[in-house]
Amino acid sequence: MTATAAPPPRTARRVGPAVRRVPTAVWGGVLSVVLLLSIVVTVTFGPADIRPAEVWGSVLGHVGLDPTLFGGEVLSPLRDGIVWELRMPRVLTAAAVGAGLALAGTVMQAITRNPLADPYLLGLSSGASLGAVAVILLGLGVLLPVAAFAGAIAALLATLLLAGASGTLTPTRTVLAGLAVSSFFGALTSLVIFWSATGDTYREILSWLLGSLSGARWPAVAIALGALLIVGLPLMLTGRTLDAFAFGDQAASALGVGVDSTRWLLLTATALLTGGMVAVSGSIGFVGLILPHAVRLVAGPRNRIVLPLSALAGAIFLIWIDTGARTLFDPRELPVGILTAVVGAPVFALLLFRARRIS
Amino acid sequence: MTTTDHGVGDAVAARTGESALSAHRLVFSREGRMIIDGVDIDLPVGSFGAVIGPNGAGKSTLLQLMVGTLPIQSGTVVFDGDDVLALKRRDRARLVALSEQHGDGDTGLRVRDVVLLGRTPHIGRWSAEGPDDRRIGADALAAVGMTAFADRPFDTLSGGERQRVHLARALAQEPKLLLLDEPTNHLDVRAQLSLLSLVRAQTAAGLTAVAALHDLNIAAAYADAVIVLSAGRVVAAGPAASVLTGDLISEVYGVRADVLEHPRTGRPLIAFDTT
Amino acid sequence: MTSLSRFRSLRSVALLGTAAAVFAATGCAASPTTAPSPDAADPASSYPLTVENCGTEVTFDKAPEKVLTVKSTSTEMLLALGLGDRIIGQAFPDGPVPASLGGDDVPVISDKVPGQEAVLDLEPDLVYAGWESAFAADAAGDRATLGDLGVNTYVSPAACKEAGRPDTLAFDDVFDQITEMGAIFDVSAAAATLVDEQRAELETISPVDGLSALWYSSGSDTPYVGAGSGAPQMIMDAVGLTNIAAGVDDSWTPFNWEAVVDANPDVIVLVVSDWGTAEKKIGVLESNPATAKLDAVVNERYVTVPFAATEGGVRNVEAATTLADQLEALGL
Repeated sequence: MTATAAPPPRTARRVGPAVRRVPTAVWGGVLSVVLLLSIVVTVTFGPADIRPAEVWGSVLGHVGLDPTLFGGEVLSPLRDGIVWELRMPRVLTAAAVGAGLALAGTVMQAITRNPLADPYLLGLSSGASLGAVAVILLGLGVLLPVAAFAGAIAALLATLLLAGASGTLTPTRTVLAGLAVSSFFGALTSLVIFWSATGDTYREILSWLLGSLSGARWPAVAIALGALLIVGLPLMLTGRTLDAFAFGDQAASALGVGVDSTRWLLLTATALLTGGMVAVSGSIGFVGLILPHAVRLVAGPRNRIVLPLSALAGAIFLIWIDTGARTLFDPRELPVGILTAVVGAPVFALLLFRARRIS
Repeated sequence: MTTTDHGVGDAVAARTGESALSAHRLVFSREGRMIIDGVDIDLPVGSFGAVIGPNGAGKSTLLQLMVGTLPIQSGTVVFDGDDVLALKRRDRARLVALSEQHGDGDTGLRVRDVVLLGRTPHIGRWSAEGPDDRRIGADALAAVGMTAFADRPFDTLSGGERQRVHLARALAQEPKLLLLDEPTNHLDVRAQLSLLSLVRAQTAAGLTAVAALHDLNIAAAYADAVIVLSAGRVVAAGPAASVLTGDLISEVYGVRADVLEHPRTGRPLIAFDTT
Repeated sequence: MTSLSRFRSLRSVALLGTAAAVFAATGCAASPTTAPSPDAADPASSYPLTVENCGTEVTFDKAPEKVLTVKSTSTEMLLALGLGDRIIGQAFPDGPVPASLGGDDVPVISDKVPGQEAVLDLEPDLVYAGWESAFAADAAGDRATLGDLGVNTYVSPAACKEAGRPDTLAFDDVFDQITEMGAIFDVSAAAATLVDEQRAELETISPVDGLSALWYSSGSDTPYVGAGSGAPQMIMDAVGLTNIAAGVDDSWTPFNWEAVVDANPDVIVLVVSDWGTAEKKIGVLESNPATAKLDAVVNERYVTVPFAATEGGVRNVEAATTLADQLEALGL
């Protein structure tokens, strides 16, 4: 019997028309434009009263163009310093960190096949916290990025050693090892804080633990952008490999993916990327966890698409949230990590709700 | 072609002058238990071999060894002159495809995307899929008769529909050797027959297929050769008509059966004695 | 500048001591704030004495004799009133007690807040804390529990978190606290003379005119500064400085550098301590490329004040006079 006709599609269990997805290129283009606009607009916000024309003029002046192009006056060195030394690097760092964290989160969720995975899964944030806290309490604040990064890498090594102890690096072992390392480093951090912190250092520590971009100057931009370009860009191109894991390790292997080596490589790259971000901004939560989901809800789950879109969306998200953190309670500043959770959670709930109605 | 001795693959090639799939003395054990204990398989290119045997005989494991997702402990797999297991993983994936069942989680992918996954070994690591890949994917989907489902979310499909999509994914890999692990599970009769006809159509076009099947009659109806596996060993191999006897079935499965001949196809028809 | 202020306070203390002796001898007493007594020389407190402190009623059956102080402001308050012999120990000090108050022999029993058992082990009859947070179950113990065990508790009113906190701290509030302490410990005369002495010292300050200031307490990425309603504002008012963060209704507040640069303060007050030295703060200001251009940073218009003197207590006046002197030395 050669029945080649397919059985008629069952209509009883249809759940609605197939979702027509907006092409990726359109999304990418739109988000890129929005990112650019976000940078241009948010750099004009701040406690100091400087007109947008003068803000843009200051930026133009620093890149070698005519500062009076938009009609503003040239700013005094002091006020120019506000724009170029405080606001501009901060906005750019927020963009880089947001992109990096969202990217790292997407990769982590794909590798561990766990929708609740975030960039800090491998104990990275606890390790970085330990490094940062130690340095803050020793009064060596200037070494903060280095110590945070070193702490993150130490935690990564501990996690990989623990998870890979049996030979193969399975998603479950990775998650569990990460949890164990997180708890350990977290406990050490708490101990150190409790033992040596005074009122003043408590505040600095809390600000770091919650995640804050208030210390972002041009060196921070270099670090964050550097990490994003060196590690993040290649990661963005691993979408196909990540997609191959959709049906598990066996299927991925049968498709030609070296499961173990790929996992080790991706985990290490993600850790380096996250470590770079954490070194600059503390452990800003929520971005790496929720933004990939938000992007998936709107653009579909294929990692090839989700990776670059997450990066763009993460950058836009953090730029605006950080702008809120530094202007909403003017002249007080909020650590941005508080706002990412407070704002992000309801937005995500909304997306989830809308997605349910569509599909 | 009834044999359990080694060296016969070469004899087959010499005899028939065709290249072959020749798996030679495969051994695999796990936690001290021998799962596959010196299995040989010899099939000419372009044939459809069915691996049958009771549960736990090692059928799935055998297929996984052949595709390289489980590490073999000794033995070789040679296909058309190439040592399959010595190939780099990517190259192997262009040669051998495995279609298996999955306890599928929530992938969120569309059917079209699942099929395109099969193109992974052909697309450069950093590149995107091209129009050729999409065409091949569409052809594979058409071959299994699921074109209408292309934009449906994979997770909304029934078990049988998913099975067909997995097969399409394997076909999209453009393999020369297609391995199928229980492809007829979850399928109703019509779908089972239809799927296996499809496989035969592919083998007629030059693909070599090896399927692990649990249904003896289906295996007898479609396969060129039947390999009977029991406790990790090949008990018998050869054309269904000569291999499937009442005694063999009784010895391997522990049930009584009479082997008849199908009135129209002439293929063996196994009637189980339920008394 | 510190030596100058030390000298001045040494002189003041000597003056105080002499004045007290003279007054006591001549029977000329300052006006008591609690139950006046017919004995004009030393108005005695009448016990049991109940005070309302940070929303809690505290009743003293007699003048406390075994006091555990937490934070420097408490220790200094008692020392300034000549009650050093009643202190069984100090905890969580913010810095060394100034020699003028003679505090070398007060034992430090704990670098941080002591635990409840450790506190009870010392058998104090009063725990006097500079921060209300010291009285939590996981710290020295909550006030109700300690009260039940016969240990009175007292918090510096300037540091009350909710009830009892002055909306905007003024020197009168500080003096009221001194007076209340005098009543509690039955040393009203000493309290009165201390208040008079401090008032007099305040009078000697000629406030500057039209200078804005940043009260930089701590922090590097996010500065923690003196805000509009606490001791920093009070001290700056006395000196005549306009606080650039006065708009925030709090004692201290996290701030941001952009606002600082925008305000371009004429002078920067650096709060110095063992953990936050002036050099460190100046380093932060100079390494931040935006604040490095501030007039005050470029021209090094810094004045310093020790941390312990910046919380509501007996050293606020000294802090104010110190600042005034430094401003004068800077030619402002």
